[in-house]
Amino acid sequence: MAAKTSLKGKGKAGKGSKGSEEGSSAAKCVKEWSTWAMKKAKVITHYGFIPLIIVIGMNSEPKPQLYQLLSPV
Amino acid sequence: MGSSVSHAGAPPPSPAAAPPPPIPVGLAAALPPNTEVQGDAKGVSEKVDWLNLPCPVAFEEIQREALMSLKPELFEGLRFDFTKGINQTFALSHSVFMGSMEVPSQSSDIIKVPTAHYEFGANFLDPKMMLIGRILTDGRLNARVKCDLTDNLTLKINAQLTNEPHFSQGMFNFDYKGQDFRSQFQIGNNAFYGANYIQSVSPHLSLGSEVFWLGHQRKSGIGFAARYNTDKMVTTGQVASTGIVALSYVQKVSEKVSLASEFMYNHMTRDVTSSFGYDYILRQCRLRGKLDSNGVVAAFLEERLNMGVNLLLSAEIDHSKKDYKFGFGMTVGE
Repeated sequence: MAAKTSLKGKGKAGKGSKGSEEGSSAAKCVKEWSTWAMKKAKVITHYGFIPLIIVIGMNSEPKPQLYQLLSPV
Repeated sequence: MGSSVSHAGAPPPSPAAAPPPPIPVGLAAALPPNTEVQGDAKGVSEKVDWLNLPCPVAFEEIQREALMSLKPELFEGLRFDFTKGINQTFALSHSVFMGSMEVPSQSSDIIKVPTAHYEFGANFLDPKMMLIGRILTDGRLNARVKCDLTDNLTLKINAQLTNEPHFSQGMFNFDYKGQDFRSQFQIGNNAFYGANYIQSVSPHLSLGSEVFWLGHQRKSGIGFAARYNTDKMVTTGQVASTGIVALSYVQKVSEKVSLASEFMYNHMTRDVTSSFGYDYILRQCRLRGKLDSNGVVAAFLEERLNMGVNLLLSAEIDHSKKDYKFGFGMTVGE
């Protein structure tokens, strides 16, 4: 009886540790993914923010001409 | 009552016994009786509608009048800004700066490094959305986004991105504006979370508080603030658990002149600073000056030379550290 309960106990502990390992690896995955996503977002923002503003501005009403971007008048 | 209104046109009441009320003629007939209107207005202004208090100023702008007067953008060197409006909502800006920048040093010596940079910027200003981006020649990007998601909810994003790793900063703010309160929730890099709330308690007084949590350094703090303002003066007080006490007082002496004073005490470093300043807003220029308890005298002049052309002169004299900074510049464009 004692052996059975101890085996059961070990089985449960084994399952528990496996579950927590899976849980922690899932959390690690999420963390890695979010760090990768933040790095990519930072690079995209760094290069793309000002072109985005220019595109939005050139498409606003009244629509400006392209030469107005470059001429100092 | 016609008799209480003194008008040349109203005839004097006839001196007969039990004189009939004078028939108003001329101006008295055209204008409404004066005293009744005055009496009503006085009655309304004395009664406070406690359910209809005005919306308070945002928590981070509680000291805005004092900051505007006492902390102008002083600089050292040459500054030239050119803003070209392409559209009602879209503008490009070019800015050149040549001068010395102070490098923070461990010793008490001041180390100045001569720097020069060109900054290109684009602004898009819509009633609902505002996008401002500035990029410098060394690769730093300053981005600001302000978007009205609904009538009461606003999203603000503020970011400084650099090429060097781990030096970039970003902050997301969600602002909710109620009828007589404002609340804000902030998320920043380095696992920074903050929230603040400010409420109008009377037509002149508003109280607020903030909490923040800095994840990477496991620091948290709480602060309280109060602001009392009338038409002629604004006084604010702020206390924080980081050991900072800040008080300020701004008096609007006339339409063109305001005087401001500020007191700051830092309990951790036992630092006490008080400063006194003036702000003259005249037709062609704006002159701001201040005097500090650290022995710093500063002045900043913006003079309008022509439509859209402004001359800037900046001076900051630190008598205790013997540091003299003078700058001049020009701003062209709106």
